[in-house]
Amino acid sequence: MSTVVKVPLRYRIPWKKIVLYVLAVAFALYLVLPFYWIVAMSFMREVDAISVPPHWIPNPATLENYLGFVNPNEAQQLVGGRAIDETPYSLRNSLIVATSTAVLNLVLATFAAYSFSRLKFRGSQVLLVLYLLTRMVPGIAIIIPFYLLMRTFGLLDTYLALILSYTTFALPITIWILKDFFRSVPRELEEAARVDRCGWFRTMWSVFLPVAAPGLVAAAVFAFMTAWNEFMFALFLTSTEAAKTIPVVAANFATDFNTQFTVMAAAGVLAVVPPLVLALLFQRKLVQGMAAGSVKG
Amino acid sequence: MAALAERRPLGDNAKAWALNAPAIIVVTLLIAYPIAYSFWVSLQRHNLKRPRATKFVGLDNYGALLSDQAFLSALKVSALFVLLVLGLTVVLALILALVLNERFRGRGLLLSLALLPWAMPGVVNGLMWRTIFDAKTGALNGLLTQLGLIDGYQAWLTSGTGAFLFTALAQVWNTLPFAVIILLAGLSTIPAELYDAATVDRAGGLRRFVHVTLPWLLHPLLIVLILETMNAFRAFDTIYVLTGGGPGDATTTIALLDVQTVLTFTDFGLGSAYAWVITAITLLISVGYIGLLYRKGNFEV
Repeated sequence: MSTVVKVPLRYRIPWKKIVLYVLAVAFALYLVLPFYWIVAMSFMREVDAISVPPHWIPNPATLENYLGFVNPNEAQQLVGGRAIDETPYSLRNSLIVATSTAVLNLVLATFAAYSFSRLKFRGSQVLLVLYLLTRMVPGIAIIIPFYLLMRTFGLLDTYLALILSYTTFALPITIWILKDFFRSVPRELEEAARVDRCGWFRTMWSVFLPVAAPGLVAAAVFAFMTAWNEFMFALFLTSTEAAKTIPVVAANFATDFNTQFTVMAAAGVLAVVPPLVLALLFQRKLVQGMAAGSVKG
Repeated sequence: MAALAERRPLGDNAKAWALNAPAIIVVTLLIAYPIAYSFWVSLQRHNLKRPRATKFVGLDNYGALLSDQAFLSALKVSALFVLLVLGLTVVLALILALVLNERFRGRGLLLSLALLPWAMPGVVNGLMWRTIFDAKTGALNGLLTQLGLIDGYQAWLTSGTGAFLFTALAQVWNTLPFAVIILLAGLSTIPAELYDAATVDRAGGLRRFVHVTLPWLLHPLLIVLILETMNAFRAFDTIYVLTGGGPGDATTTIALLDVQTVLTFTDFGLGSAYAWVITAITLLISVGYIGLLYRKGNFEV
């Protein structure tokens, strides 16, 4: 300890700061460059996108790849006809399925989470663990019975089949997130409402839920993203444009050898915009929720 | 416990279960029942193309696994994939979380960027890396050539080893944010006084990390290990789009093999047996996870 070399303070090289900034820049590039590449490609002409050496910036930039989804030109019709046609439908399907999942999930999870945050009841621990356990069940383990079940009820290739599966995926984690949010809502509010002789539903609707709104929004966003991003169940359960979601159609681009890279990139960008916008808008709450859903248990 | 429960107002119990009823019904119908039913299917010869041949065969499907080359190979690919993805994810996530735990200009921006891969659907992640790794036009080839690091364009995904490594890299990019967020949350709970004390004791950066940071991070690290193990073990979307399991079966993980068995060969019996092996392994891991949460006393209800 006595051999510390004394360097006058003002000459000391701020190694820590340098390392920090180098790492920060390196990570920023690592995180953003891959994404930049498909965004850039989606605004390029196909000739530029496949040129060697590559064009890093779309020049001339074109909206052709996006417009093609609405009104495909001859070349686009020739090479990627089906997937191109299906993209607008699948975006609509994804939107409907993800929104419905978010709403249904929120209703079910709010009831359950409220019970864990406000009521002391027998079996609550066991029930919470059971919810958590269902989250651990791999989707692949239930896909076959799920498929057979949906076939029996004639629900294959419908929104309902997808909404039901995604709600069960999102439900356990949403309950866990919401119970934490609900606990931070002061009890006095409800007690005051009770003194005013408001019924339970009235109290929930006009006092409790408005205060808990930020948590509810975060939970809804979680469920929306779960539903929007899911692929395997959609692959099994849908077969036509009646219910195919955007991941299924996007995957079709990848397995089709004729596909233009630029159109595929544009479809990818369209698929990522909704979850990305939500993630950025609700960043703080989502980060809290993710941490609460796993670290705190 | 029981005595305590007796004294509680009875209304709470009934109300709580009533509130949970809808969730319980959905979960039972759509998870508990299917998983039990899938075990039943796994005991049958059950091929959708030959419905008449459906027959109870006991544990035959499981017995067949032991000599099923495709299965054994997929199990090996999965295990290696988990190890590689997990190792890379944990190291990268730890470094990024430590960086984000410091104060510096642009920290908020970096945190937002870190959410980008998390928001990206696995399928799009696969598409994206496909265009990047492409042998003839890919961005990786372009970049490395322009930097003078390689002489000519390489076909990264045509050799088995190459495809495996690059698929793992694509998967790591996608799952990194989740690990970062959990570790960052763990880091933020470390009391500043501990660092102050360590600084007073003139502990260097490395010693501070080993003696202060790591012990506090142990729990979040274990959680990251467990959850990311499960993620990597079930990884499907990215691999399906990026390599489709190829070349050969170099990137055919167990999840991919299962989907092929079911979707392409409509062999529901064998597919269910595969699925049950996946479930059993996953359940073992999750028992460890829940036990961990309990032991750390983080399981207050």
